[in-house]
Amino acid sequence: MPMTKPTFRLFLILMAVFALVATACGSDDDSEETAAEETTETTAEDTTETTAEEATETTTEDTTAESEAAPLEGPTIRVRGQDFSESVTIAEVYAQYLAAKGYDIEVLTPAGFRTEAIDGISNGDLDLIIDYIGGSLTALAPDAGASADPDEIVEIIGPLYEELGATLLDYSPAVDGDAMVVRGDYDATTISDLAGAGAVFGASAACFERPQCFLGYTDPDIYGIEFADTVTIEFGPLLGEALAAEEVDAVVWNTTAPQIDEQGFKILEDDMGLHPAQNIAPIVVSSVLEAYGDQLATDLNTLSAAITTDDLVAWNVETDINFRESDEVAAEWLTEKGLI
Amino acid sequence: MMGPVLGQAAVPRDIGVFEFLFGSEYWTGPGGILASLWDTLVMCSAVMAVATIIAVPLATVLAHHGRGELSITWVVTLSRAVPTFAVAGLLVPISLRRGWGFEPWPIFIALLLLALPPIYLNTYTGVRGIDRGVIDAARGMGLSERSVLLNVELALATSVMLAGIRVAAVQVVATEPIRAFLGGDGLGRYVRDGLGQNNDNLLLAGAILVAGLAALTGTIFGLMRRLLPPGVRRLA
Repeated sequence: MPMTKPTFRLFLILMAVFALVATACGSDDDSEETAAEETTETTAEDTTETTAEEATETTTEDTTAESEAAPLEGPTIRVRGQDFSESVTIAEVYAQYLAAKGYDIEVLTPAGFRTEAIDGISNGDLDLIIDYIGGSLTALAPDAGASADPDEIVEIIGPLYEELGATLLDYSPAVDGDAMVVRGDYDATTISDLAGAGAVFGASAACFERPQCFLGYTDPDIYGIEFADTVTIEFGPLLGEALAAEEVDAVVWNTTAPQIDEQGFKILEDDMGLHPAQNIAPIVVSSVLEAYGDQLATDLNTLSAAITTDDLVAWNVETDINFRESDEVAAEWLTEKGLI
Repeated sequence: MMGPVLGQAAVPRDIGVFEFLFGSEYWTGPGGILASLWDTLVMCSAVMAVATIIAVPLATVLAHHGRGELSITWVVTLSRAVPTFAVAGLLVPISLRRGWGFEPWPIFIALLLLALPPIYLNTYTGVRGIDRGVIDAARGMGLSERSVLLNVELALATSVMLAGIRVAAVQVVATEPIRAFLGGDGLGRYVRDGLGQNNDNLLLAGAILVAGLAALTGTIFGLMRRLLPPGVRRLA
């Protein structure tokens, strides 16, 4: 494409600016890396103060770590949330709770999803993850049948986590499972009601190949629903937009999505028990757990038992609807419950 | 076992790239490669037709009157700055709320914004680049302004203009698959499903299909240029 002279000069300037920005970013990365390296060798208080990025944002975390119990002897526990708001808040809740108890905690920048979290545990990059047990089941044993009973799932995934050198602790009563969501005025109360309704179905690409999702809904031996049409929609708020616009009649969302309540949708009852139980549960690297003795397991179980499904929804409302920071929401909840 | 459901071909998780690309069952039926290809071609053709209808007359008339020189700089900047995915992504919720659905407006408008600049730019520079002597000679021969515009300027700019249309077409074909991420289908569906279902081979096969169609588009428009009369081609 021909360029006039002023345009070419503009282009050169832009290139120069781009080069400068690129170099600046490069050096930024370096300093972050060194900061992260240093923190692993320092004590609990220092860690919370200098952890890259978190330091500037999580003032609450710093103060609690300093004011509460004396530091415990043991290795640093590295925690990382998965890259969506609920998981980030959950990770903050566990991290801040443990930090207040005197554990040496390092909160890493949220990244990846379940695969990356489990990889992190098995290759030694992470020491604590909090996952949904039904999701762990699909990841670790894709061919195992789903179960609505959390204890059955734990029986399967517990030993599989042991093989990875990690220990699955008690699951929480808090559940964030799959949900078949319809508009509030839609004539159905159970998923079975959709069988002859000729509904248009919307879900993410992942759902369409999963036995606990689309394949189960359409399987004549389970729900046997014949959808009038299907639309693949990116998981997230777009599901609600499509539902509200009547582009689709039923979508697969998660039970704690705050938009369900806000936009007046309703969750259909999973009357055939297709959806696996999705309680949250902490998974700790076994060597770290042993290093702290029974105390760490007891503390984590106490916290897990205190979290409810309503808490998850409330946190999501704060982070997704009111756009507040996860660490603030976590600190607020822990204080309110008297846990820190 | 369940067959392919309307709008959703069931592709096995362990499928090989070539097994998918050469498996006849994946080409036919709803959600098959042929149906997806057709979806993509219809969308791209519509975008290209509207973009050409808007950009060519506008650029020709402005260039004929020697107006809008500044617009060229703007177009060059704009053509590199429009984030097509962001435009389409922003338009989707608006379109849904107005009851226009996922398709076709958001993706159509986003692709139109992508296609307009190269066509406008090339037509304008093509017309402006014609030797003034030729135009003066045409006027001297008593041609009307209208005739100068159509039979001399536009005719001589055809080759450069076609090059612009070719660039736009390749960009549109290569970008259209984002539609699959915004509630639509088309050839991008295999990339989307491959990503979402953690199926690398399906993802790769989808990418091959998209890249292949883009390359084919470029070749076809390149061949069209050869059909021009030799004189016009040489002038370009």
